[in-house]
Amino acid sequence: MLAAFLLNDTRLMPRVLVIEDDDVTAREIATELANHGIDADRVAEGREGLARAADPGYDVITLDLMLPGMDGLSVVTQLRAQGIATPVLMISALSDVDERVRGLRAGGDDYLTKPFAPDEMVARVDVLLRRHRQQAQQTLLCVADLELDLVRHVARRGDTQLSLLPTEFKLLEFLMRNAGQVLTRTMIFETVWGFHFDPGTNLIDVHIGRLRKKIDAAGRAPLIHTVRGSGYSLAQTD
Amino acid sequence: MRRLTDNWRSTTARLVLIYGSFFALWGIVVIGLIHWQAASYLTRVSNELIGRQADYFTMLDEPTRRHALNDYVSLETRQLNAWGLFDAHGKPLAGTITALPPKVAVNGPVAIVPQGLERNDGHAHVSVRAAAVRLEDGRILLVSRDTSIVDRIGTIILQALLWGMSLTVVPGLLGGWLLTRGPLRRVHAIREATLPIMRGDLAQRLPVSRRGDELDMLAGIVNAMLDEIERLLGEVKGVCDNIAHDLRTPLTRLRARIYRLQQQFDEDSSENATLEACLVDTDALLNRFRALLRISELENQQRRAGFDRVDLAEILREVHALYLPLAEDRGQQLELQLPSLPMIRADRHLLLEAFSNLVGNAIKFTPPGGRVDIRARAAEDGPWVDVCDSGPGIPVDQRVAVTRRFYRAESCRSTPGSGLGLSIVSAIAGLHGYTLQIADSDRGARLSLHCRDAANV
Repeated sequence: MLAAFLLNDTRLMPRVLVIEDDDVTAREIATELANHGIDADRVAEGREGLARAADPGYDVITLDLMLPGMDGLSVVTQLRAQGIATPVLMISALSDVDERVRGLRAGGDDYLTKPFAPDEMVARVDVLLRRHRQQAQQTLLCVADLELDLVRHVARRGDTQLSLLPTEFKLLEFLMRNAGQVLTRTMIFETVWGFHFDPGTNLIDVHIGRLRKKIDAAGRAPLIHTVRGSGYSLAQTD
Repeated sequence: MRRLTDNWRSTTARLVLIYGSFFALWGIVVIGLIHWQAASYLTRVSNELIGRQADYFTMLDEPTRRHALNDYVSLETRQLNAWGLFDAHGKPLAGTITALPPKVAVNGPVAIVPQGLERNDGHAHVSVRAAAVRLEDGRILLVSRDTSIVDRIGTIILQALLWGMSLTVVPGLLGGWLLTRGPLRRVHAIREATLPIMRGDLAQRLPVSRRGDELDMLAGIVNAMLDEIERLLGEVKGVCDNIAHDLRTPLTRLRARIYRLQQQFDEDSSENATLEACLVDTDALLNRFRALLRISELENQQRRAGFDRVDLAEILREVHALYLPLAEDRGQQLELQLPSLPMIRADRHLLLEAFSNLVGNAIKFTPPGGRVDIRARAAEDGPWVDVCDSGPGIPVDQRVAVTRRFYRAESCRSTPGSGLGLSIVSAIAGLHGYTLQIADSDRGARLSLHCRDAANV
């Protein structure tokens, strides 16, 4: 719903192509996307998936790596070779870091391991949708009175300059680039730190807590929100 | 010293000793028998000879007897024979023997005179056999023969026995000792080989030589047993992994349903709070399964595709930065000591995961206000990284166990966690050929990862 609301496009519903051969998983993905106001088309076979992916009407593609006909890695490689830049979320039962690296190197934009929590999947699709729409490289991110200057490396809340550590800066950038979207702890850990393991429950919470103390200083409207059971979201509430 | 006593405790040594004793005893019996037989034969011959000579002398007339007696003495170059003529009262009349020994009865049997006879020719007093006969005129003739030769033969036989014994027993003992050395060396090799097995490395096997002897048969039996144990443990592990794998999908769906249900309730409602607790529990379950599968994934991973030259110092700095806020929140000091370190060949992501686990663990088990140190030190065969904390430490008897899956020390049951963190570290260390050492630090536990140069592995 957030994604749909944030898209400044003539089309109301974003469209996602789900290339997945397992019926149960495909239905799960479609249902969850529909719940979040995203339209999903499903294809069960690799070659057909590649043909359909050429349609520029799709905003994001979710791609299973183990497919009949043509495997997911080949699909994404050919897609990129044809110059199609639609973001691809790869979904695989293989959790190995090497597999992930191979998938991302072939042209995938994100990698999710099966079995996955549906909200995690939707959060990742949301991030990809957002990235798809933000083609131009932004140098200044703004949410409410919070400003992040990516060129000069300066963060400001109102007229107060915030002193942030490098990691805090990266964390804030990720939150602000995806303002209004739910970001899971795993997504934050993977994107900001680039680590692909389970860091334990409260490690990310502690880092967010630090950032929150600096940004949502006393007297200011809180911008970083905890989304119960999922993760965090940076948004202006009014 | 221990090895020497070990040597004599072996079966071969025992056999050599027993066999040697029997051999020596048998030798003594045989030589004793020979000695006894020879001595009694020589004695009998001498007795007969002396008796017959004495009889012969009585039958001769006086002048012939004189000649015969002189010949009797002079024919024996070594003065073995002697004679003496006495009157009826025992007074010496002629011959070299000057006294009639009381032991020799006149006309009696041949008698032994061990202390010898009194003689006037200066012949030494040696054991003799003598016989006395009364001549027809009443005088007494004593003839004697030196029989010390019998004793000398006895001595020669005894000496032969001693020489023979020493030549048998000494090389026997030496040979026995040498014989036991080979098998004992192999027993030591087997002992060496069992040490890693006892530490839990079930892939090791006892050494088997090509000889196929008793030791090899035993080693073969033990190896077959180890194969079976390894297979069974593998099966148990496989079952665990399968359960973890199969349960993950329904658990994920369960979590999704709870999540969706939770979204339908007010954020402040009691239902929402209950469902939140359900989510936390489900997440804990999922995390545990994920960690379990991660370990078996790491353990099954033999290839080193992800290996590259990595900067260990950089990795440690990242881990330090990652955990610093957490430590500070708990009022702990987290210090990083970095000397200049060489680049190492490793999988960067896995090392990050390993150190992250070590540091996370150290922080978790250190009470608030304590300190955790990450210390790197360079060594010739690859750098060491010590993670020291001021927690309760790990008791010596639990140091192997803590790297096993699900093991949690009694003392930390109350601390949340899966008991899989160190298993992951241990699996990553195993994959790299590194060693994980658990010891005491001056305040608590010290966990050290020795990043041995992969080129040397």
